[in-house]
Amino acid sequence: MSEEEAYRTVLATLKEEAIYPYNEDEIQVVKSVESCINCGLCIQHCPVVAAVGLDRFSGPRSIAVELSRSPPEYWTTADVVYLCTGCGTCREVCPKDVDIPEIVNLIRARIFKHRPDLVPMQLHAADAILVEHGLAFVPWEDPEEKVESRNMRLERLGLRHVPDQVVKGADVLFYPGCQAEERAQEVKESAKIILDHFKVKFTLLEEMNCCGLPATLLGDDETALELALKLKKKVKDLGVKMVVTTCAGCTSNLARIAERDGWGIPVYHMLEYLVEEIGMVKLTSTFKQSTEEKPLRVTLHDPCHLIKHTSRITMDYAGQILSLIPDVEVTESFAHDSCCGGGGLVSYHAADVARAVMKENLAAIEETGASRVVTPCPLCTAQLEDSLFRQGSSVEVDDMTVFIAQRLPRKG
Amino acid sequence: MDLEADIVVIGGGMAGLVAGIRATEEGMKTVLLRKGQSATAYSSGAIDVIGYLPGGTVPLASPVEGLQGIASMFPLHPYGLLGFTGAESDTVSKTIIEKVRTAVSWLKATLLGSNIPFFGDIDSNLDAVTVLGTVKPTCMIQETMWPGSLMLDEDSVAFFAGVKGFPVFNPRMAAQVFLEHQISNKLPPRKAGHHVLDLAPFGNNYNISSIELARYLDNEDNLSALAKTLKKQADRIGATHIALPPVLGFNRARENQLALQDLTGAHVFELLSFPPSVPGLRLQRGLETAFVKGGGTLLVGHHAKMDSPKSKIVKKVTAVGPRRNLKISTKAVILATGKFIGGGIIGTENGIRESVFDLMTVSESFHIATNVTPQKLTNTLALSHMGHPLFGSGLSVDPQFRPITKEEIHAAENLYAAGSVLAGYNYPAEKSGLGVAIVTGYMASRNAVDYVKGVSA
Repeated sequence: MSEEEAYRTVLATLKEEAIYPYNEDEIQVVKSVESCINCGLCIQHCPVVAAVGLDRFSGPRSIAVELSRSPPEYWTTADVVYLCTGCGTCREVCPKDVDIPEIVNLIRARIFKHRPDLVPMQLHAADAILVEHGLAFVPWEDPEEKVESRNMRLERLGLRHVPDQVVKGADVLFYPGCQAEERAQEVKESAKIILDHFKVKFTLLEEMNCCGLPATLLGDDETALELALKLKKKVKDLGVKMVVTTCAGCTSNLARIAERDGWGIPVYHMLEYLVEEIGMVKLTSTFKQSTEEKPLRVTLHDPCHLIKHTSRITMDYAGQILSLIPDVEVTESFAHDSCCGGGGLVSYHAADVARAVMKENLAAIEETGASRVVTPCPLCTAQLEDSLFRQGSSVEVDDMTVFIAQRLPRKG
Repeated sequence: MDLEADIVVIGGGMAGLVAGIRATEEGMKTVLLRKGQSATAYSSGAIDVIGYLPGGTVPLASPVEGLQGIASMFPLHPYGLLGFTGAESDTVSKTIIEKVRTAVSWLKATLLGSNIPFFGDIDSNLDAVTVLGTVKPTCMIQETMWPGSLMLDEDSVAFFAGVKGFPVFNPRMAAQVFLEHQISNKLPPRKAGHHVLDLAPFGNNYNISSIELARYLDNEDNLSALAKTLKKQADRIGATHIALPPVLGFNRARENQLALQDLTGAHVFELLSFPPSVPGLRLQRGLETAFVKGGGTLLVGHHAKMDSPKSKIVKKVTAVGPRRNLKISTKAVILATGKFIGGGIIGTENGIRESVFDLMTVSESFHIATNVTPQKLTNTLALSHMGHPLFGSGLSVDPQFRPITKEEIHAAENLYAAGSVLAGYNYPAEKSGLGVAIVTGYMASRNAVDYVKGVSA
C-alpha cells in the first residue's frame, strides 16, 4: 500500500472511529487549552457552578480538561456540557486566554455528530425547527395574527407603526433576529422607529433567516453554516453598507460569521450604531426634546453576548445613552454583568438550572430599588421578565431599543 | 471604534490600577485595559513591601530597614531607582523611604475608601500566619487577617478551625506546624487546638471552594450558624485566638470578623492562603471600584495590540476585545502587564519576550535576555532562599520608569512601565511583589501625568 493509499484508507475510517479532525478555527481554540495552568479561577467565577454547585455542573475547567485528554472523549462530558450557559465569564477571568466557551461549542458539535442520543431531546426539537424553517421558532401560521399581535404590542407601549420595507442599496440592513421577528415584535418595531427618526435609509430582509447561533450552540454545525451562508447571500444581494441588530446574541454571532465568511461590512448592535454612527451630538439634541416626562429609576442588565462576546464598551454606550434621557436615573445592580441563565439553550432542557442562575440577578435587581430593568437584548428581556413575574415582583423589564424608541420626541 | 484618553494603562493588576487611580485623581482621562484576572487577584491579599534583602535569609524587621539596604547595595532594584533624583547620595535612602511611604499610605487610604481596611505600615514587618501554619513577614494585611496578640501574649491559646470538605486547609497540620515553629523560637502561644467544622454550605460537605464559602458567609444567618459551632469548639480548649481560612466573605468580611469576635469572645482572624484566594479577589475588587468611582474607564476582557511599536511617541493603542477593536488615541501609556501569569513577559524556547511592544528584556543581572531560554535562569534547587533568577527578568527602565532599548535610551518618550513587568527584583524570594507594584505604579503614573501636563501646556 502506498503512502497516499494508506492516507486515504485512514481518512475513510475516521468517521467510524469517531474522529473528527479539527478545522482551522477549532485548532486555535484547542491550542488555547494548552496554556491552562489549572488554577481553577474559572470554576470559582462560573455563575452556573455558583447557582447549582459542582455536583450538578462540574465547571469550565473540567470541560477544558476533558478535551486535553488524548483522544478526547467528548461524550464523557455530555451530562454537563449542555448546562453551560455560554456566558463567557470563564474566558474573561482566565489569565491564560483559554477559550472555554468555544471549547463547549466544539464538544457539543462532536457529540451531536457522533452521539446524538446524548443530546437533550429538547435540543433536537429546536434543531428540527431550525432545519425546517430557518428560524429559531416556528413562524406564525396566520400572518394576520402576527400583525394583530404586533398592533397590540404597539398600542400597549404607545409606539407608532413604521411599515416594513425592503430597499436594495439601502445604507443599513436592520436584522431583528428570531426573537424580535417572531415573538418580541415590539423590539423590531422600535428599531424601525429609531432608524426612521434619524432618517436612516434602511431595509429589512425579504425573508428573515436565523443567524445560526442556536444551531452552533446545540452542536449542529452544518445547519449553522448553511444559515450563515444563506444570510450572507441575502446581505450581499441587498448591497447594504452595514448591518444593525437589536439582539445581543445576533451581534456577537453576526460579527463572528461576517469576519469568517468575508462579508466585508461591519455589524453593529443598535447601541453601537447610535453612539458611533448617529453620534452623541445628535443624540443629545434629540433627547433634549423628549416628551416622556415620568421620572423613572432604572437598572441595567448587561447581556453576556454583548459584554463578554462582543466588547464591554457596548454597555458604556448604554449608560451614555441613558444619561441623555431626561428624568431617568440609573442605579447599578451588583450583579449587572451576571448571566441571566437564558444563554446556551440551557432553559430549553434544564429550566431549573437557568432559573437558579437567574436568582442572583433577581436579588440584585430588587436591592437597587429600581422600578424597571433595561437591557439591550430581547432574550435577556424575556428571561428576566419571566423570572421577575414568577417571583411576584413589581419590577418591569424593557428591551433597551423599546425604551429608547418610547423616549424619542414624537413627530407631528 | 475610537476612544480618546490622556493616559492608557495596559494591565489591571496592582501596578496598573494604582497607576490608573492616581491618574484619575490628577484629572487625567484614563482608560485601563485588563485581559484576564491579574496576579493580584490570585495573591494572598497581604501586601509585601520587602521581607528579605536580595539573597538574604533573615527576615527583615521592617521594610524601612530593607529599603535602606537596597538604597546602598542595589541601585538598579526598582526601589533603588526611586533614589535617582540627582540629589546628594546621603539622602538617597531617605528619598526612597519617603516615596515608598507616600505610595503605601496613599494605597491604604484608597482601600479604606473601598471598605477594605488594612493593618500595618512600612515601619515594621508583621508576622502573618498561613494556612500551612507557617509564618511569613509582610508589610500590610487586611484587618481581617491580623492575628492580634496571638504571638505576643504568653497566655494565648490558638485554635485552628477548618471546614469539612474544604481541601485548601488542614487545621490539624497547620496547628502542628505553627506550634512547633513558635516553640522552637521560644514564642507564644504554647497551646494550639484544631477542629473541622461541618458547615455544608449549599448542602455539600465535600469539594467546597473558598469562593463558595465566602459567598455562604456573606449571609448573616449562615454566619451565626458558624459562630455557634465555633464557640462551642473554641471554648472546649479555652481558645483566645481563632484562626480561620480566608473565607470570611466578599462584602462583609470585616463586619463578619467583628460579629464572630463578639459571639465567641476570642480574637478571630483569617490565615493567608494559596491562589486563588478570597482576600486577593477582595483586594482586586476594591482597587477596581476605586478606579471606576474616580471616573476611570475600565475595559475588562480587552488586551492591547500595537500597530507601530517602533515610533518614538506612542499615540495609539488598539484594545482588542472578543469581537471589537477599539482604537484609543492617547498622550501617554503605562505598561503594567505583569510577568508570567499576567502575560506581560513570555518565556519560550527562543528566549524571553515582552508581549505588547516587543521591548528589550533583561535578566535579573541586567544582561539582555531576549535570546536567553528560561531554563538558563533557574537554580538547581527548586526551593531555596535564592529563588530563581528567572523571576527577576523583565524590562530595564530609566529613572523615570520608561523602558530602555539596547542603545540605553527610552523606547518611547511617553511609554512607562510598572509592576512585575520590570526586571531587577525577585519578588518570590524578597517578598516584595505588591510593594514594588504599588510604588512603581504610583511613580510611573506621576511621571506620565507630568509628561501629559507638559505636552498639554
